[in-house]
Amino acid sequence: MTSREKILASIASNKPSLVTLPNVPIFEGDGSIERFKTVLEGIGGRAIEVASKADCQTAIDKYYSDLKNVASNIVKASVAVNLDTTKDILEQVDLAVLQGEIGVAENGTIWVPESNMLNRALPFITQHLVLVLDKKNIVANMQQAYDKLEGVGSYGVFIAGPSKTADIEQALVIGAHGARSMMVLIY
Amino acid sequence: MNHQNHPELAEAFNKDFERTTWHDETLWFVRQKRDKAVYPIPEFQDLRTLASEIKDHTLSNLDNYLLEFEQNAIKNGVKVHWAADATEHNQIVMDIIKETSLEKAKGRNIRLIKSKSMLTEECHLNVFLQKNNIDVVDTDLGERIIQFRDEAPSHIVMPAIHLKKEDVGETFHEHLGTAKGEKDPQILTEAARQHLREKFVAADVALTGVNFAIAETGSFVVCTNEGNADLGVNLAKVHIACMGIEKIIPKLHHLSVYTRLLARSATGQPITSYTSHFTKPAEGKEMHIVIVDNGRTQQLGRADFRASLKCIRCGACMNTCPVYRRSGGHSYDFTVPGPIGAILSPNIDLHKYSSLPFASTLCGSCTDVCPVKIDIHVQLYKWRQIVGQANELPAAKKWGMKGLAKVLSMPKVYDLSGKLARGALRILPHGLTHNQSMNPWAKARELPDAPKQSFKEWYEENRK
Repeated sequence: MTSREKILASIASNKPSLVTLPNVPIFEGDGSIERFKTVLEGIGGRAIEVASKADCQTAIDKYYSDLKNVASNIVKASVAVNLDTTKDILEQVDLAVLQGEIGVAENGTIWVPESNMLNRALPFITQHLVLVLDKKNIVANMQQAYDKLEGVGSYGVFIAGPSKTADIEQALVIGAHGARSMMVLIY
Repeated sequence: MNHQNHPELAEAFNKDFERTTWHDETLWFVRQKRDKAVYPIPEFQDLRTLASEIKDHTLSNLDNYLLEFEQNAIKNGVKVHWAADATEHNQIVMDIIKETSLEKAKGRNIRLIKSKSMLTEECHLNVFLQKNNIDVVDTDLGERIIQFRDEAPSHIVMPAIHLKKEDVGETFHEHLGTAKGEKDPQILTEAARQHLREKFVAADVALTGVNFAIAETGSFVVCTNEGNADLGVNLAKVHIACMGIEKIIPKLHHLSVYTRLLARSATGQPITSYTSHFTKPAEGKEMHIVIVDNGRTQQLGRADFRASLKCIRCGACMNTCPVYRRSGGHSYDFTVPGPIGAILSPNIDLHKYSSLPFASTLCGSCTDVCPVKIDIHVQLYKWRQIVGQANELPAAKKWGMKGLAKVLSMPKVYDLSGKLARGALRILPHGLTHNQSMNPWAKARELPDAPKQSFKEWYEENRK
């Protein structure tokens, strides 16, 4: 008997009789931009409203003029990043500006599917991260977010603010391994 | 027989009074953060109930969900492996590492980076791989700290919570060359960031744990704050994810329940910084999943204790537990410490862990904060009965209990004992009544003044 068969047989003989699966309701809640912004700021991120998607460039110029290596398919890029980009190039990226799909007001998180990442490693290896988000796509909570998602594709991540840790004496430090800062441009 | 004993290890931890107090207060602070994060969610109790019921359902159909998960994962191009125990798990992981990377390594050691996985701690994977010439680097900051110090994690979410920043400064000075005496968490974290970036880029294989595995899609979810799982996986050629059989949930949308509960319960954050959904490997890369039993199916067969398998490893029961907070994670000497560890460990080795179900006041706070509503304190009580029946109680406790049971069953003897004790407490010197070898209860406590009469005597006098 293989381990697979052994484990499955052991479960079959040890499991309790079938218990009903409950229905998960779509809970109502406050899905406002204001709440999203407040929560995001509470977890170390920053949210700026811009008039239109085209205005993202102005915001990037204003806030990140000091950053040299920018990877993006939304604003002007100085580093070309795609699926085949090597690690040594990815390591040099100062700023990635990418499209976010769904924002969640309750926890400040944003869904970023692989198709928006240019390269799977980019949102994590970049020193700073900006996600742009259509305000129509802000929902109240995770039930509404998963309801709106049509599958999770090959790979996708809910990103909530910058990378952080509190592993040394519970002192919060922003910028553990991933992005040192995270901004959301809401249009 | 030399087996671990929670009271002895806890006593050693308590020798440093200031550190014990600091540990207690720090974890209580995390518990308070949890409360602040939980109270504003109007449906939080509904979510706990749903989380509990979804897990109850899943456990009652676990074999079928595992099969569905396997089938979908294979369709996604993922290789699925099954391990009955820790030994087999470690062997499978090593075989994958060697098969995929030996050639590429060309004579140097293969480099593995890991994000947090309590399962691999449970299986003692690191030591095994290192013995087989594989370089293993833990990338979670807390885990890297304790890896440098060759210690075990003392908490499942905050592995280095037993250390102070001065300790970390000393460790980093030794291993990373930070300035002597440097203890600023910001500077120490930056040093680790620089050090680990090199490791991320150089790694051949990345290993992660699994927070949730979704039967419906064959996907699995990994939650981190640091981004270390994603950074590691997306830079390495091979991803190995190790999961216990109990990590399964049926549907993708069930994640909406658990992602609202996990971080709020664990650290008081609204959600972890990264909630990563892995379904298919990237073009040209490999993804492996190792599904592990290691005693879990046995626990599934214990009707009184199977609910412990619902645990989502948030650590809330530790942060709230007055015994954990004042005895430290290492006093449990088990991969998962605290109240949940004390109900998981006797299933693995009743003899070795017989003292853990007693590491509790049975106050029930663990049960109150558990996001999946495990009846932790009830299970602690039930394990105590089993420990007693298996004759695993320490002699003093066993005979003390037997004696007490006798006295309590004979009202006249009970009355007389009470009288004698009240008299003795008034007459005998403090040094004798509080003698620590005769009365261990008085080690850190004062007895109250003995009353002149018992309640029974008072009632006889005063009833009308």
